[in-house]
Amino acid sequence: MKKIFLALIIVMAIFSCEKVIDVKLNSSEPRLVVEASINWLNGTDGSQQTIKLSTTADYFSNTIPPVTNAVVFITNSDNQQFDFIQGETPGTYECSNFVPFLNETYTLTIVYEGETYTSTEKLLNTPTVKRVEQKNDGGFLGEDIEVKFFYDDIQNETNQYLLKIKDPYKVIPEYGVLEDRFFENNEMFGLYFSEDLKTGDTINFTLNGISLNYFNYMNIVLSQVGNNGPFTPATSTTRGNIINQTNFDNFALGYFRLSKTEIKEYIVQ
Amino acid sequence: MPKKNIAVILFLFFTSLFFSQEKKTISGIVYDEMNKETLIGVSITIKETKTGVTTNEYGFYSLTLPKGNYTILISIIGYQPLEEKIDLTSDIKKNFFLKISNKVLDEVTVSTNSNKRINVRKPEMSVNKLSIQEIKEMPVLLGEVDIIKSILTLPGVTNAGEGQSGFNVRGGGADQNLILLDESTIYNSSHLFGLFSVFNPDAIKDLKLYKGGIPARYGGRLSSVLDIYQKEGNKNEFHFNGGIGLISSRALVEGPIVKEKGSFVVAARGSYAHLFLKLVDNPNSAYFYDLNTKLSYSINEKNNLFLSGYFGRDVFSLNQNFVNTYGNAVFNLRWNHLFSKKLFSNLSLIYSDYYYGLTIDVIGFNWASGIKNYNLKYDFKHYVSDKFKLNYGIHFNYYNFNPGKIEPTKASSGINEEQLERKYALESAAYIDIENQLSENISVNYGLRFSSFLRLGQQTYNVYENDQPVTYNSNFLLYESAQPIGTIFYKKNEVIAQFQNLEPRFSISYAFNDDESIKASYNRMSQYLHLISNTQSPTPLDVWTPSDKYLKPQLLDQIAIGYYKNFKDNSYTLELESFYKKIKNRVDYIDGANLIANEAIERVVLNGNARAYGLETMIRKNSGKYTGWISYTLSRTEQQVKGRTPIETGINNGNWYKTGFDKLHNLSVVANYKLNEKWRFGSTFTFQTGQPVTFPTGQYEYEGITIPIYGARNESNLPLYHHLDVSATLTPRKNKGRKWQSEWVFGIYNIYNRQNAASITFRQNDETALNEAIRLSIFGIVPSATYNIKF
Repeated sequence: MKKIFLALIIVMAIFSCEKVIDVKLNSSEPRLVVEASINWLNGTDGSQQTIKLSTTADYFSNTIPPVTNAVVFITNSDNQQFDFIQGETPGTYECSNFVPFLNETYTLTIVYEGETYTSTEKLLNTPTVKRVEQKNDGGFLGEDIEVKFFYDDIQNETNQYLLKIKDPYKVIPEYGVLEDRFFENNEMFGLYFSEDLKTGDTINFTLNGISLNYFNYMNIVLSQVGNNGPFTPATSTTRGNIINQTNFDNFALGYFRLSKTEIKEYIVQ
Repeated sequence: MPKKNIAVILFLFFTSLFFSQEKKTISGIVYDEMNKETLIGVSITIKETKTGVTTNEYGFYSLTLPKGNYTILISIIGYQPLEEKIDLTSDIKKNFFLKISNKVLDEVTVSTNSNKRINVRKPEMSVNKLSIQEIKEMPVLLGEVDIIKSILTLPGVTNAGEGQSGFNVRGGGADQNLILLDESTIYNSSHLFGLFSVFNPDAIKDLKLYKGGIPARYGGRLSSVLDIYQKEGNKNEFHFNGGIGLISSRALVEGPIVKEKGSFVVAARGSYAHLFLKLVDNPNSAYFYDLNTKLSYSINEKNNLFLSGYFGRDVFSLNQNFVNTYGNAVFNLRWNHLFSKKLFSNLSLIYSDYYYGLTIDVIGFNWASGIKNYNLKYDFKHYVSDKFKLNYGIHFNYYNFNPGKIEPTKASSGINEEQLERKYALESAAYIDIENQLSENISVNYGLRFSSFLRLGQQTYNVYENDQPVTYNSNFLLYESAQPIGTIFYKKNEVIAQFQNLEPRFSISYAFNDDESIKASYNRMSQYLHLISNTQSPTPLDVWTPSDKYLKPQLLDQIAIGYYKNFKDNSYTLELESFYKKIKNRVDYIDGANLIANEAIERVVLNGNARAYGLETMIRKNSGKYTGWISYTLSRTEQQVKGRTPIETGINNGNWYKTGFDKLHNLSVVANYKLNEKWRFGSTFTFQTGQPVTFPTGQYEYEGITIPIYGARNESNLPLYHHLDVSATLTPRKNKGRKWQSEWVFGIYNIYNRQNAASITFRQNDETALNEAIRLSIFGIVPSATYNIKF
């Protein structure tokens, strides 16, 4: 759907002009932001994990305030506790003895400014990348280098995936979420094309299996960061799965999710 | 309440009949003298009694009066009025032939002044008419005369923003407009994603926009009726006219099939392929075309047949990797039959089809969706007396919705073929509508429409726990889609859900004198189709969905009052109206709703309410060298989705929020100046409050990207929107005395190059990682030239 809007924008682009402008914006109260993504990298034991905590900031502010005085730990269903200790970078909390198990249920607990936040999720499976294909006349215009990362949909269940691409020419990663609707039990792929890519460039593809709730969450979040021009749907701030047990209304943003993680590095031929 | 209504109708009906004296009827058809086209909306007034009638969509009129001598005045915009004495001692059949008031190519009349006056006595209100000549005079974007864009200059009519499709009437959604072309419903009125509209102005004869006080013969949409009639074609001789513009070329051929009895018209329009994208050296294209045809045949005095068709397509292709095709096709057969001098009937059989297709080869799939529609209408107009007219009829509409079919384009694509289940429905209605002049000063129009909607099988229908396809997650304050707990299979034509509504319509006028009146109206409407779209204005891929158990029919109640005055010998007219309307069951979507290829739309929608209120003024100057109008609307349009239970938040915490097309202030000034026979100038100035938008109030960082935080919905506005457009029409003097006529139209859109914001979006710059606000302006200054020819 975003691609269609892209096409609309191309039509308009002939007449239209984009300009960076100054806009006066209101501010809102700061909130806790949790980035608790437990990625069990294929081929590792998954014991090294990091959680990031920060607070919200004004939209045009150049700094994101880290949260440095919180207590963070995860417990599994046997009540085994994995502590996350403040790391060198402010706002990061690290654990070196995490024990990941597929389909195991974990609970995250954060104590921050006297309030306790929790969240419970399952560790999900992720397929591996089978092969990578490159096309030099790809993209909609047939002018871009196009790379496809192929993987098999997990059999006989409804799955969602989070795809991430790190393009060497961009400072921020690109994300996409995909469901196996229309692809059930078939081979699926992550597709990336860009006019900047050339031979020798390295692109980094990351694949994670995700829950339906996280799929919905990222769908909203990504539509808020995307530039859909006049076709942007109306939107509002989305809560993740972190619940403030002390003061329900002082909710945190961000998400707690766990999965196996497949990373594929590809050097453009 | 409905029962009482019927009683009142019957009472009035009988009183009219009992008090009748010996009466005679004058009836006939009003034509254009030159090409024998029938004329719609011609007023036929009896000077002595101050009563009258206007010709219907087929040019027919009938007036029944006590025996006697009368002076009859026949007048309409753009034609020389005719006055005739008649001696009505027996029934008379009389056709009138009107002369165009000024015989220059597409001339707008400036010489006579008695024909643009408001009919202050008629209880019709909230109705705007634009003649095709007026529309052609207005300066337009890229020289493309555009019917939809022209009605945006009328009070109470706006659209979401520049370059966006559709239009909004009195705060109604773009999907709440009933757009009829020769009585057939048009589902998507725009070409090129809204830059242009699908109507070829050359093929159009007349249009009328009802914003309120909508007569009972219309139904199925809440907010407005845009009733457009195509030309029938010249019954006397062959003619050609055409034009060459920057975007498209047009050609129209018309002429007699059997002289004075039958005629045809064929009009075609096509934009140049590779229109925008040729600039880039690539095998890409974006173009549209449309074809309008009509055959008219008069079998005898009592029977006329019309066959009309419309076919339009947009094609958008990027290197064959991305191909998007969409458009309407309409075919219709109508039969006019006069049962008596007083009873006119029209039977219409209509087939219409909207198709949307998309191929994305990069991913490897074809997608097709659409709606097919079979429609039968039988309408009667009964001209009982000069003071009493009766309209009644029945409508049937059978729908076949294709929500979408996906198929792989190649074996390797990994896509599984799937046909989303088709949906079927039958919408029927019966109506009666009465126009009654109660006294010299008071006229009323009242009617009742009974509408019924049946959702029919075959379909597998989802069942949800507690009948709730959307559940509320009170931990995350989020609406979520429920999983069906089972399904019910309905056989072909089995009724899945049904709805019935009684829709009363009422309007009254009180005339202080010949030139001044007040009017009031009330109408209730129901709409059984929903356009599933969560963008501000419709896009071609939006899907129409019928009402069912979960998506309830939308209902509207509207009241309006108005003041009307013709002054300075009819050279000025003033219309002042105020309205309030309330809509039930307006859908909105849960956050993150995926509407594309969604087989269970009920799982992402919430039913809400909408309301709109406002004040509209319009002053027209109808004669002299300067003509034109000023229209100003002050209005508010809001929507509300409350939680279904006290714990639920609803949307925007259950508070009212402005809709995406709310425009507090909306001003249009249309001014035309005729310098001489050679040069005419036109200008349009538009000034509006910027579109409501939701701006971020903060940001947070998550997974290496920054994400905006949003506050209350639609609380901010884009900057003020305004532009001035001008045009000049050159009619060479050498046209005089030669058979073929030509003209040049030069235009400049947005002459002071205002960079109006079509949107302001917020993003993280992918080179600096800093947040920035981007203003998108679509049209700066755009010059154009068009050459028109006629012979």
